[in-house]
Amino acid sequence: MRSFGELEAAIMDRIWSAEGPLLVRQVHATLRPERAYNTVLTVVEILYRKGWLTREKDGRAYRYRATVTREDYAAGLMGEVLDASTDRAATLRTFAERIGPDEAGQLREALEQARRAGEQR
Amino acid sequence: MIAAAALLAYAGLLLAAGAPALARARWPDRAPRLAVAAWLALAGSAAGSVALGGLALVVPTVRVSADLAELLAACVMALRARYAHPGGAALAGAGAVLALAVTARVSWCTARTLAAGALARRRHRRGLGLAGRPDPRLGAVVIDHHEPAAWCLPGGRRQVVLTTGAIDALDDAQLAAVLAHERAHQRGRHHLLVSLAGSLAAAFPRVPALRQAHEQVARLAELLADDAAAAASPRLTVAGALLALGAAAPAPAAGLGAGGSATGARVRRLIAAPRPLSRGASAAGMLSVAALAAFPLLAVAGPALAARGENYCPHPAAASAAAVQTTSPAGLCGPSAGC
Repeated sequence: MRSFGELEAAIMDRIWSAEGPLLVRQVHATLRPERAYNTVLTVVEILYRKGWLTREKDGRAYRYRATVTREDYAAGLMGEVLDASTDRAATLRTFAERIGPDEAGQLREALEQARRAGEQR
Repeated sequence: MIAAAALLAYAGLLLAAGAPALARARWPDRAPRLAVAAWLALAGSAAGSVALGGLALVVPTVRVSADLAELLAACVMALRARYAHPGGAALAGAGAVLALAVTARVSWCTARTLAAGALARRRHRRGLGLAGRPDPRLGAVVIDHHEPAAWCLPGGRRQVVLTTGAIDALDDAQLAAVLAHERAHQRGRHHLLVSLAGSLAAAFPRVPALRQAHEQVARLAELLADDAAAAASPRLTVAGALLALGAAAPAPAAGLGAGGSATGARVRRLIAAPRPLSRGASAAGMLSVAALAAFPLLAVAGPALAARGENYCPHPAAASAAAVQTTSPAGLCGPSAGC
């Protein structure tokens, strides 16, 4: 964990993996390698201000929760690739675009035939 | 004037006849690398011909010279001759505008496309840093999502991205094929080739041939990466991986066109295993592509080079050297021997 971005990522990972909202103290306790508590507190507050986290008062401290689930966030990243405009298609392109069910069926058959022909040879 | 007409006609021919012929041809599937070169040469050559054609209108024939001052002087003389009568001035003006406009437009669009791509990649990389976890065994970044997808982030710090859905949908051999495909994109810097074609298409959106060049370069880049994957894994494994991910892939926002999908065509190509072009045919193809790209330069430089041969206005140094040679017996002593 060298850069600031990596600490952000590690904190988001802890919060996403947790069952419920976490105190900064709890986030700090699970981070490996260990980081200064104040650094963790600062980064958590930055993530809150950026809109990544939401918080609720718990006694004198706050409990933090992610605003989007990890799955939703991943879906957003995938969307960048799948809905790519032509400009962006130059940089991000999926391995396979959608094949409709009818075509997929025909292709499966053709592939099976080719495999069998390969074995016979 | 003749050079300019020839160049503009050449550009027109490439765009109106060359591009449709290349799009109809069957051989690109058997030689994707050559076909990428052909499309880029065609698009670049057409744009270059228009720019050089404009230049040729401004400066009819300039003697080629390594001496920039001499070249500029020739330009000034040619311009003066042109401005001597109004028709010539208008023609030269139109040529200058054409050459400048094409050059500026292509440069601007290329810069913008590259910058937009770099920005999108940087943002995407930051997002991956938050939501993805590196898998050292695969050498890829994995993000948690049930829908299967795989892609790569080209450029500086390269990354291959897989969703958990993709890992579940593929067996180990297919996974290796997917990774090989994506790494081939990164190694071959395919994003630059596609960006280049895309920049030309963006610069002249009303020219269908350039849009076609962009689409074809993007399509052929996939075939290139498929072939690279098929060199490391059995072809049918690559086909199986494509089918497994393609059949389960989420539908794109734009919807599907009628008929077969592009990915389906790639699967069929991998199954059919078309024979690559023979070495002779590839060499001939490469020569044709080089000729395609070189023609505009030759059309401009040709008359100028011919003019250089005619020594009608000799360089002062050359003239004095010639004078020394004629006065002294050949071979006995040169101008520097002190006789």
